[in-house]
Amino acid sequence: MIRELSFIDVLYLIAATRWTLALTAIAFAGGGLVGLAVALLRVSGLAPLRWLGGLYVLVVQGTPLLAWLFVFFFGFSIFGITVSPWIAAAASYSIYAGAFLGEIWRGCLQAIPRTQWEAGASLGLGFTQQLRYIIVPQALRLAIPPTVGFLVQLIKNTSLAAVIGFIELTREGQLTTATTFRPFTVYLIVAAIYFALCFPLTQVSRRLERRLHVAR
Amino acid sequence: MSLVELLDVVKRYGRHTVLNGVSLSVEKGEIIAIIGRSGSGKSTLLRCVNGLEPIHGGTVSFDGTVVNDPATDLRKLRQHVGIVFQSFNLFPHLSVEKNITLAPKVVKRVPPAEARQLAEAVLRKVGLAEKIDAYPDQLSGGQQQRVAIARSLAMSPQVMLFDEITSALDPELVGEVLKVLEEMARDGMTMMLVTHEIGFARKVADRVVFMHEGRIWEEGPAAATLAQPRTPELETFLNAVLH
Repeated sequence: MIRELSFIDVLYLIAATRWTLALTAIAFAGGGLVGLAVALLRVSGLAPLRWLGGLYVLVVQGTPLLAWLFVFFFGFSIFGITVSPWIAAAASYSIYAGAFLGEIWRGCLQAIPRTQWEAGASLGLGFTQQLRYIIVPQALRLAIPPTVGFLVQLIKNTSLAAVIGFIELTREGQLTTATTFRPFTVYLIVAAIYFALCFPLTQVSRRLERRLHVAR
Repeated sequence: MSLVELLDVVKRYGRHTVLNGVSLSVEKGEIIAIIGRSGSGKSTLLRCVNGLEPIHGGTVSFDGTVVNDPATDLRKLRQHVGIVFQSFNLFPHLSVEKNITLAPKVVKRVPPAEARQLAEAVLRKVGLAEKIDAYPDQLSGGQQQRVAIARSLAMSPQVMLFDEITSALDPELVGEVLKVLEEMARDGMTMMLVTHEIGFARKVADRVVFMHEGRIWEEGPAAATLAQPRTPELETFLNAVLH
């Protein structure tokens, strides 16, 4: 049944945004933890650990996020295990975001010259102390723009979770379109909401970068 | 027993042998200048002493501890062996004070107030007391290198290694850094320095070691060895750098 697009639909869209935000938060938190581990594996002094990290990135970057969502949500039911959509989403997004964040952060760590590690080692600092006091503080500033860039991607990629039943912003837009038949207006509103989420992030990123630069 | 002792040290990069059986002992308080063409292995030799370069044969020992023994705690060893690099390698995100106090605080657990005093003391030694709150990029090359020396001194090492520390400096800044070295020499610091400053080596070093093709080609008392080289290789080298 087709009805008029009204203010209440806009409110529904805004309400659906909370799932977009919740999914993003989970994905970024889980992905951050996994990413940190991956980045550390990739810069470790032990070759097998570096290979392990490399293999992980290779596999995850080479497979679609959609496939992970399907595996976790539908795949386990074959063994009689019911996976809630939240668990499936958290696992899939953490695996996916972890690979990309891990690569971004590895790059930032490796951008710090080897001589900085050497200078730390020569003063008697151990590996983790070199990381913590010398390498990470310098890598952090480099990491902000690409990390925020990925976060913005992540916000938009949460729409994929619609396939396992999440009615987040994009899915809500589809549903609204189906009942009002006003795709142009609806998707414009959807796009505006995404923009309202992403734009402040890029601004914060810029300010953060500037602040860390002044404080070195 | 010698403070630093290298015995038949072999080091390779792939199929290229950089150190081909190097033996050298350094006594406490001695100042050794290591000279030679680039690629002769002199920097590598220095970096073996604090275990920055793993070696493939022979032994390196410091104060009785075998550096190349996998069981040796290199972190502990490096507290006693200071090194200063050609490219300074200061930490750009930290102030001069924090550059100096990082290792004392983190490694030796020196309390913050005491660490600040320590920084002031070592900075006075290199004549940069007023730069304590500056950042590395606000300093000239010569000043940065003096801060790097101070940073090393703050760990009160028993031996200092200097890896071509004036090679990256503008000529007019070399003097201020060499002056600091001379003062350290007067204080009785044991030093091994890789250098191209032959005049300085003659003046300050007790012994000169000439490296050639991964070996110690010639060594002896600084003045005599530099005035009357026994091998044609050293003679050629000295002629090349002095003219």
